[in-house]
Amino acid sequence: MKMRHSVFMLAGLLAAGSSQAASLYVGHAKAAAVCSQCHGIRMPSADAPFPPLGGRDVEYLKTAIKQYRDKTRVSEIMNAIAGSLTDKDINDIAHYYGSVKP
Amino acid sequence: MKKTITKRLNQSLLAVSITTLLSSGVAMAKSDDMHQLYEDNCSSCHGSDHGGYLAPALNSETLKGRSPTALRTIVMAGSFDTLMPPFYGKLSDDEIRGVIKHLQATPKQPNPAWTLDDMKKSLKVYVKDESTLPDKPTYKIDNIDNLIGVAARGKYGRGEGARAIFINSTTHQKVGEVPTGVAAHIIDFNPANPRWAYVKTDTAEIFKVDLYSMQATRSIKTGYNGPGMGVSRDGKYIMAGSFVPHNAVILDADTLEPLKTFELEGIDPDGKMVSSDSGMIIGTPYADIFAIALENAGQVWVVDYKKDGFPVTKIEKVGRHLHDAFLTHGGKKLMVASYDDSIVAAIDLEKREIIKRLPAGCVPHVGGGSAVVVDGRTLGFGTNFGDCDKMVVSVWDLDKMEVVKQIPVSGGTESPAAHANAPYVAVDIISKDRRARTVQLIDKKTLEVVKTLDVGGHAYFPEYSADGKFLYISAGYNGDEVVVYDSNTLQKVASVPMESPAGIFSRGRVKYMTRGLSPDEMEQSK
Repeated sequence: MKMRHSVFMLAGLLAAGSSQAASLYVGHAKAAAVCSQCHGIRMPSADAPFPPLGGRDVEYLKTAIKQYRDKTRVSEIMNAIAGSLTDKDINDIAHYYGSVKP
Repeated sequence: MKKTITKRLNQSLLAVSITTLLSSGVAMAKSDDMHQLYEDNCSSCHGSDHGGYLAPALNSETLKGRSPTALRTIVMAGSFDTLMPPFYGKLSDDEIRGVIKHLQATPKQPNPAWTLDDMKKSLKVYVKDESTLPDKPTYKIDNIDNLIGVAARGKYGRGEGARAIFINSTTHQKVGEVPTGVAAHIIDFNPANPRWAYVKTDTAEIFKVDLYSMQATRSIKTGYNGPGMGVSRDGKYIMAGSFVPHNAVILDADTLEPLKTFELEGIDPDGKMVSSDSGMIIGTPYADIFAIALENAGQVWVVDYKKDGFPVTKIEKVGRHLHDAFLTHGGKKLMVASYDDSIVAAIDLEKREIIKRLPAGCVPHVGGGSAVVVDGRTLGFGTNFGDCDKMVVSVWDLDKMEVVKQIPVSGGTESPAAHANAPYVAVDIISKDRRARTVQLIDKKTLEVVKTLDVGGHAYFPEYSADGKFLYISAGYNGDEVVVYDSNTLQKVASVPMESPAGIFSRGRVKYMTRGLSPDEMEQSK
């Protein structure tokens, strides 16, 4: 019982820690400067061929952006644009887009 | 407008960082195909004559010595902090390479003709029998004046996102969307019949819009580009003017049939005969006239639309590079901005002469202008692009025609909004950095900036609802929403999502003529 309690506590702390570390405000600003030109600040243009990011799973977004940055996933344009992002940038951006209601 | 806006457009640095990565593809398509590709994707902003419009001129002269690789990067990734969208995935690599090669080999074209016959042929009818339309709004609205129209550009300046969007400004809900194909630029309302609005696009098409059923009933192409449009006080005529070609036209507001074109040319303030872009066009509530500014000729023409042959009175030497204007004193006086002389010229429309030239910052762009009555004085507010150290909003006493104050603001500005019932005059800061996200508020009484709103995106074109209770602001490109504030508390109350919103036009404008005046002012014109 005690054990389970502390596991929950730990999980809670980790979750809190992760969401505290991510700043939606900074993520919004970073997304506006880096991503929104193609993906939109919420949704891409109805006429654009780019995939939507708004409302997507945060962990998925983080993994994908990191893969683009580290060139383990190949896209000439995304490898270039994600290349300059830090782990913190990616965390903020992913949390921002994850928070958008599509 | 061309020159100043072009100056403000920066090129993306980020885009340059990806240039080196891309090198492949060889096949070049034919020049004809590339011309069509330019027309279909680029010309609404860069000009069918390759001479520039909202965006820089693209021709063999302006692109001389530019690296094709760097240009290709801008086309692919777009240019941040401007309206230039990314064409990656929309155009193939071969097409992008081809169009750049084509542009670097194509000189600026001569001013193409667009005649009365061309206009007649372009007339489209979407609703044949307008008597079948509903006789009242098909949506809930207490007063049609509460409508606010937003010119949504769409990310690509055309396509799905390009539409005129109408909002009920008491509920902040969209009540209609009218697709315009190409970016909507100006929305005017018919002062005599509340059901009609007119939307002009970046490619100079004018749509007649039924506000009751929220659809276009007709359209006509009046030129290649240029924002000028005005509606007569009796609601029977529209006058529209173009940058390309250099002409203006009077249309029947009911059928949109063109009645007469005017070649815009004249002797400029330096004594040179010039062909001229059309600047603002305005119908005044005071008389059966249109006033039109000839940008390059520096003249204002007054056209009597009730007289045979639409005779013109020319007022010369108003200023160098005229652009926009607003009305005051029941519509008898017109305040016209002159970019290159850094003044606003006051014109008496009754006597058809210049009253005075007033200092107005460095590149005055008054937008729709604003005028408010404070302690018995009528004060006019003029924004200015401020490409100099004079980042000020000018305030003039419009009775005495003298400067009251030049209020320092945080950057260049492009459009002021005021309302008789709202305590603040809002101005949009357009300087190309974080300031572009903001709108500043000037207290009407103290004439000081008292608050800065962080709207986001590229915030511009503030507009009050007809009752003055709400302030609407476009968050522009990369903002993709219109943000609504309470006029008194300045708290954000709503967000209306749309693609790249620009100009905001309240139907209340027909009631108060110039934003900020009370409807009582209109009594002076009767």
